[in-house]
Amino acid sequence: MTQDTTKQDHLLYDREGKPTHDRPWIFRTYAGHTNVRASNALYRQNLAQGQTGLSIAFDLPTQCGYDADHPLARSEVGKVGVPINSLDDMHALFEEIPLEQMNTSMTINGTSMWLLALYIALARERGVDVSALRGTTQNDLVKEYLARGTYIFPPDAHFRIIAEMYEYCLHHLPQWNAANICSYHLQEAGATPAQEIAFALSTALGVLDILQERGQVDKPQFDQIVGRISFFVNAGIRFVEEMCKMRAFSELWDELTKDRYDVQDARLRRFRYGVQVNSLGLTEQQPENNAWRILIEALGVTLSRNARCRALQLPAWNEALSLPRPWDQQWSLRLQQILAYETDLLEYPDLFDGSPVVQSKTNALKEEALREIERIRGMGGVHAAIHSGYMKSALVRSMSERISRVQRGEQVVVGVNRWTDALPSPLLGDQDSGIFKVDKDAAHETLELLNQTRKKRDPARAEAALQALQDAARSGANMMEASIECALARVTTGEWAGALREIFGEYRAATGIEGQTLSLEEQRILPLRKRLEDLAQKLGHRPRMLVGKPGLDGHSNGAEMIAVTARYIGFDVIYAGIRLTPDEIVQSAVEESADLIGLSVLSGSHIELTEQLMQGLQEAGAADAIPVVMGGILPHDDHETLRTLGVRAIFTPADGDLITIFDTILHILEASA
Amino acid sequence: MDKTAPPDLSAWIERALHFEKWSIAKLISLFEDARPEASKQRHEVITQLRQHPKARSATFVGLTGTPGAGKSSLVGALVPKLLSHPRQLSLAILAIDPSSPLTGGAVLGDRTRVKLPPKEKRVFFRSQSSDQDLGGLSRNTFQVCRLLYWLFDIVLIETVGIGQSEISIRHAADHVYLLLQPLAGDELQFIKAGIMEIPDAFVLHKADAPEASKTYHTLKATLGLLQHAQGTARKIHRTSIVTQQGIDDLAAEIASLQTPPLHAAMLQREAYAFQRWILDRYGRLGLEALTQQQDDSTRFLRGYDSLDQAQEAFASYFWDWASACLLSRSDKEIVQITT
Repeated sequence: MTQDTTKQDHLLYDREGKPTHDRPWIFRTYAGHTNVRASNALYRQNLAQGQTGLSIAFDLPTQCGYDADHPLARSEVGKVGVPINSLDDMHALFEEIPLEQMNTSMTINGTSMWLLALYIALARERGVDVSALRGTTQNDLVKEYLARGTYIFPPDAHFRIIAEMYEYCLHHLPQWNAANICSYHLQEAGATPAQEIAFALSTALGVLDILQERGQVDKPQFDQIVGRISFFVNAGIRFVEEMCKMRAFSELWDELTKDRYDVQDARLRRFRYGVQVNSLGLTEQQPENNAWRILIEALGVTLSRNARCRALQLPAWNEALSLPRPWDQQWSLRLQQILAYETDLLEYPDLFDGSPVVQSKTNALKEEALREIERIRGMGGVHAAIHSGYMKSALVRSMSERISRVQRGEQVVVGVNRWTDALPSPLLGDQDSGIFKVDKDAAHETLELLNQTRKKRDPARAEAALQALQDAARSGANMMEASIECALARVTTGEWAGALREIFGEYRAATGIEGQTLSLEEQRILPLRKRLEDLAQKLGHRPRMLVGKPGLDGHSNGAEMIAVTARYIGFDVIYAGIRLTPDEIVQSAVEESADLIGLSVLSGSHIELTEQLMQGLQEAGAADAIPVVMGGILPHDDHETLRTLGVRAIFTPADGDLITIFDTILHILEASA
Repeated sequence: MDKTAPPDLSAWIERALHFEKWSIAKLISLFEDARPEASKQRHEVITQLRQHPKARSATFVGLTGTPGAGKSSLVGALVPKLLSHPRQLSLAILAIDPSSPLTGGAVLGDRTRVKLPPKEKRVFFRSQSSDQDLGGLSRNTFQVCRLLYWLFDIVLIETVGIGQSEISIRHAADHVYLLLQPLAGDELQFIKAGIMEIPDAFVLHKADAPEASKTYHTLKATLGLLQHAQGTARKIHRTSIVTQQGIDDLAAEIASLQTPPLHAAMLQREAYAFQRWILDRYGRLGLEALTQQQDDSTRFLRGYDSLDQAQEAFASYFWDWASACLLSRSDKEIVQITT
């Protein structure tokens, strides 16, 4: 960036040579839960608190393209975000919120085109000028295949949808970011800083290459699209390196767009990014420490003016325990306000220009990332690297290494592997144990609204709209207009996605866990291996463990680490993957004669899913024969219920030690052998 | 298995023949069980099945090919076609995954890649981890096949085609398909050397890919040259998941494969498996013991009611023979036969 400072000097200093103020970034809080009515109230409250943009969290059925009454959706409605089934839900969600004044960020990927179509249809019915709509649809499918799991179709179809949204927005919603390339989830999945840069930029280049190949836009329009590409980045605890990462990101994006696509206007080459700071490093042990972690991570992306984020959202201190309450979110928002308005941070030009340390670290990251970008390009681009499982394997490997370092104590995590004795936290002492719970009956309202929509609509119009959508999908025509008509005709989320599933098919991504290994201390692993071999002798076969994620939540890192470790110890692992109904898990466990079922649930649906799973095992006649253990975000208050349902062991983020987890698992197996 | 109460094998068999999955799974586990007491139970199961009026007799179909050739997606596409066949066919899939050389543990991931119709009773999917030394098939593959033979109409054995696995599959299946994906000509030249002679037919999968047509013609030409040696023309199926090309034809062919008479194919397989078992357990000395006792494994087997009984008999015979034999030999000779 040093070469750019002279160019920007006139922006940073006024005529008297006094530094100008930078404008504060956009304050966002990722929010949405229960149902449209509750979420609308929350948004209005947040806006009144001084929040300057909306960041909408959708529930998993909406993200995966299912109506709230679909069997896979049953236990997930309103759990991790707001459920949207049709345009009627959108009307309720945005009641009394002026669309034209909002900058709305939607964390939506598999069904991104549908949610944008709904937003446009809402504007049309309200009489709002569509071209005034501002915001972002996340729409980065690469990280869905790699880490988050809410993809629906094969990569070709999703890339086509992204391209069509860019082409549509170019003409109709010039202030809309059709996609927001996310490196956020890559870091959560284990990416090193260089991998984070390389994979995210490769994704962006993949989108641009496809737009170029399609030839639907001319060169000036293409340059405009380059200018609209934005990024969503993670900020971890190593905040000096993270700051250098942001500078490396900015410099590389500027260079790549200039060299590859000949974008001449420097403003269009600017690396524009929002941040959510890291949730992975937040601990369940001594959770109050997370407040400091969040603060430090926020510094990494705000300190350097040349690489400062455009928008920032902070997690809440108790995210490792459960979904945060409004008060927890307010506390994080206050942090941003203090940083921006109380401190003098925004008064200075870049503090690090000319620092040899910062520049050399930045250069090193750039070089490493560029090598990785070229490697992916050599494989045939990001497309091919998903199909082949290359990127997924690389991430699982990085994650295994990280876990190994924490387990060996080489990477210090305060309260986890150092200074673990602490006084009880008064923050956890209030009535609801310091955590937010979704009202169990809240889904009822959502289902009621869905039924009304289906009853009230003109069935012929809905049918025709879906037909037109499929025609467009088959012919290769842009599907945006057809999707907007679907929205206006009160087609539902599940119907829209279902129509396209028929054309594009459903995709299963590489798991990345094959061929992975860990580097745990031999003296701790060997006893487990020995016990496993003894167990195999007793059972007459190598113990088989089924690992899977029921429900729609696709955050598979935890499940993958358990699978990799199980194999490392010597289990035969049946990795059933993500997005499974309890029935599918039962069927796999039964057909494979699993000796143990290990489930991972982070979505808050653990009780409903366990009930369904146990019932399935009962029906298959295998109820007491296959013990079930569970890991994930599982609030302590629910442990008793889970145990009563028959879960034999429960692991939360506080049980991070893999050896201890497998010690428990082997005990369970040894007891019944 | 519960040690205190012996399993009710008759009940398991009855339910398994009605496709009750947990009973099938428990029987399969019995056929994979390495404990000595399991052998008698296996004998019991086989004896009962032989006399059971409802028992079936499966055709074994091998499907092999390099990783990434699309075996799983092809199986996923074939299953619904086979299930909707007018003959109400039942189908077991045995997927063999490579195991970890370091710890012995394996990731059995194939089932995540095959989308099966939910709650369908007539299809059963089971994974096995392969043993490095058995050419891609598991030590237990044959054991489980002995059982599945009586329970299903078709058993599809899916293996990773690396190294010598294609050769093992030849001994396990009645009909072997080699799955190929479109490749450049040079790569195809490379492949043909070892494994082209193994399969009964080829499947050129991903036939919608641009290079597919060229690959097809190269393959056809290559096979034309090989045909002289083998005498029969072998079919090349062209299939694609995207366009559904060739899937119906391939399913129809699989459904129509003739079940060979039990005493030919099954006994041949049993003899092969018996010999592998001897080699695996007693090494070359074991094979020598076999030769001393009977000419070959087929003849040895003929003296017993089942493989399980033959194995037990051989085990007790072997140690008597070996101690007598070793006493009569010089140290040098012993080193030669035991290494």
